Amino acid sequence: MNTPFVIASVVAVVSTLMVITRTNVVHALLYLIVSLLSVSLVFFLLGAPFIAALEIIIYAGAIMVLFVFVVMMLNLGPQSKTQERMWLIPEVWTGPAVLAVILLGELVYIFASTGGITTSGKTVPAGDVGFALFGPYLLGVELASMLLLAGIVGAYHLGRRGNDDEQKEER
Amino acid sequence: MTTNDFYALSPLLAVGAAALAVMIGISVKRSMTATAGLTVAGLFVSFAMLFPAASIAPRIVTPLLVIDGYALFYMGLVLAGTLTVVLLSLEYLRDRGAHPEEYYILLLLAAFGSMTLVASRHFGSLFLGLEILSVSLYGLIAYVRGNEKGIEAGIKYLVLAAVSAAFLVFGMALVYTATGSLEFSRIGAGATPTDPLFLAGAAMIIVGMGFKLAVVPFHLWTPDVYEGAPAPVTAFIATVSKGAVFALLLRLAGPFHILDHPTLFTVFSVIAVGSIFAGNLLALSQGNIKRILAYSSIAHLGYLLVAFLAGGVKGATAATYYLSAYFVTTLGAFGVISLRSGRDREREYIHDYRGLAWRRPWLAGVFTAMLLSLAGIPLTAGFIGKFYAISAGVGSSLWFQVVSVAIGSAIGLFYYLRVISVMYAQPERHSGGRQAVARAISFGGGMILALLTLGLILLGVWPSPLIGLITRAVSGMN
Repeated sequence: MNTPFVIASVVAVVSTLMVITRTNVVHALLYLIVSLLSVSLVFFLLGAPFIAALEIIIYAGAIMVLFVFVVMMLNLGPQSKTQERMWLIPEVWTGPAVLAVILLGELVYIFASTGGITTSGKTVPAGDVGFALFGPYLLGVELASMLLLAGIVGAYHLGRRGNDDEQKEER
Repeated sequence: MTTNDFYALSPLLAVGAAALAVMIGISVKRSMTATAGLTVAGLFVSFAMLFPAASIAPRIVTPLLVIDGYALFYMGLVLAGTLTVVLLSLEYLRDRGAHPEEYYILLLLAAFGSMTLVASRHFGSLFLGLEILSVSLYGLIAYVRGNEKGIEAGIKYLVLAAVSAAFLVFGMALVYTATGSLEFSRIGAGATPTDPLFLAGAAMIIVGMGFKLAVVPFHLWTPDVYEGAPAPVTAFIATVSKGAVFALLLRLAGPFHILDHPTLFTVFSVIAVGSIFAGNLLALSQGNIKRILAYSSIAHLGYLLVAFLAGGVKGATAATYYLSAYFVTTLGAFGVISLRSGRDREREYIHDYRGLAWRRPWLAGVFTAMLLSLAGIPLTAGFIGKFYAISAGVGSSLWFQVVSVAIGSAIGLFYYLRVISVMYAQPERHSGGRQAVARAISFGGGMILALLTLGLILLGVWPSPLIGLITRAVSGMN
């Protein structure tokens, strides 16, 4: 049962390589979405469907959509229309689309096959993840919350609009 | 979680609660004095809680943390270091305008991360502790937003720390594949040191931790970040952040068979000797005191690694003592720089210190003591630290490494004495007017420097109480 795993991994590596070699942000983001989808499939095939779902919901869903929107909003202006039209030429979207179709094919194959598709032959249900997180690893969850607090406070301070700081920058 | 578990964790919980209390306090009313007071109170409470925790140590709390004498000793060191940094920051931040309050949340969280690190017995808490520390430091390094060098340093640290964290996580995954566990003790039991998978994982973990320790070849970020970060934050990075990671390295030495595996031993020897020479030689040509201290910290980590390589209780004691002495000395040196920094810029160039001894004899005296301790001159803490490191090295017949320590110290003496000689030179006439406006040192700042100097000399002439404490703490490490 290793073939789907290998294909998904290859797609992940190829798309990530494309992310870091693109010079246009939007092209890179399209590949990054494919990369996250393929990583999610890798997780699924390793027997961790819960993490696979989170990967799609949080990364490919929320965070990436936010990225794409920010990038597009930065380009508001008269020339943005022509620019967006340029983004729609086939050579921009064929690469990610081909990779995405490969992943879709795998997904269909997984749905069609009956059980035992994961590499180890077993899956970890979401309930077990919850029991582990709020049982022995409760402190880990608390530590993660402190980590988020540090990130939020830092980002809040650095991203704040402040008068006295601007005066200093003008100096 | 039983009541005793909460007792054991209470130092950690106190610092976490202090961070939350400071945050809520800021949202009610912005007041620098109240915020700093709350922070200091939180650190004191946490320090006081070390004693009830020590009465029930050693105790394993969940698979993630272990509260033993060793962890509690390092927690005390982290708390004392953080407290000094908080007190040094007061004036520095007051001069730099807007919104100084969040600084204290980030500092408390960084201390929280460091305390998690020194108490961790599981890769999960190791990684989370390290990330809490790093993420807080991103904000702290770039805290003064008007300072372009600070922003640059923050971004450099962010990118490099993220890459090193990726190495660390990949290394953990490989070790997990090889041994089937994330707990240090079970890794030690399950590891076969010749397994290439295990070795590759260990190497990647060394890369991740080497970055944090700023040892050669992972040291390139150090001078830039030291120079760009606010002086009190630099003091924190140099002491607490490195000390916590080093404590973790000592804890990992057993499970990873670092000292009895020839390849890993050679790797650490090369890192140690490389750090000693690269740090000392690169410091020679610097004109900026923060950069000199950055390179000197690279060299000092090399000396520490020699003590670490000596192994056993003796090596761990020597390394821990060296680290304690290094804490006092480095905090003192950066304390002088922070307290001397004016409203416009930090006094970080050597020529800013020309003739300091004639205008501020006490301040120059403190700085001289700190630099002599860094150089390892007798009667200072640095001398005893180096003495123990060398004797531990000799005890384990690490001749090559010990000779490197000696040569490195000789080179180091040159640039420390260069700074001292500038301080005692006659002040330049034409710049006298500009220098005269430099502000006076406040009473509080002076008190901290006096205490640090006292500690420096006390550790240098009467080290036995601390050595006894450290030996007890280290021999109880599991």
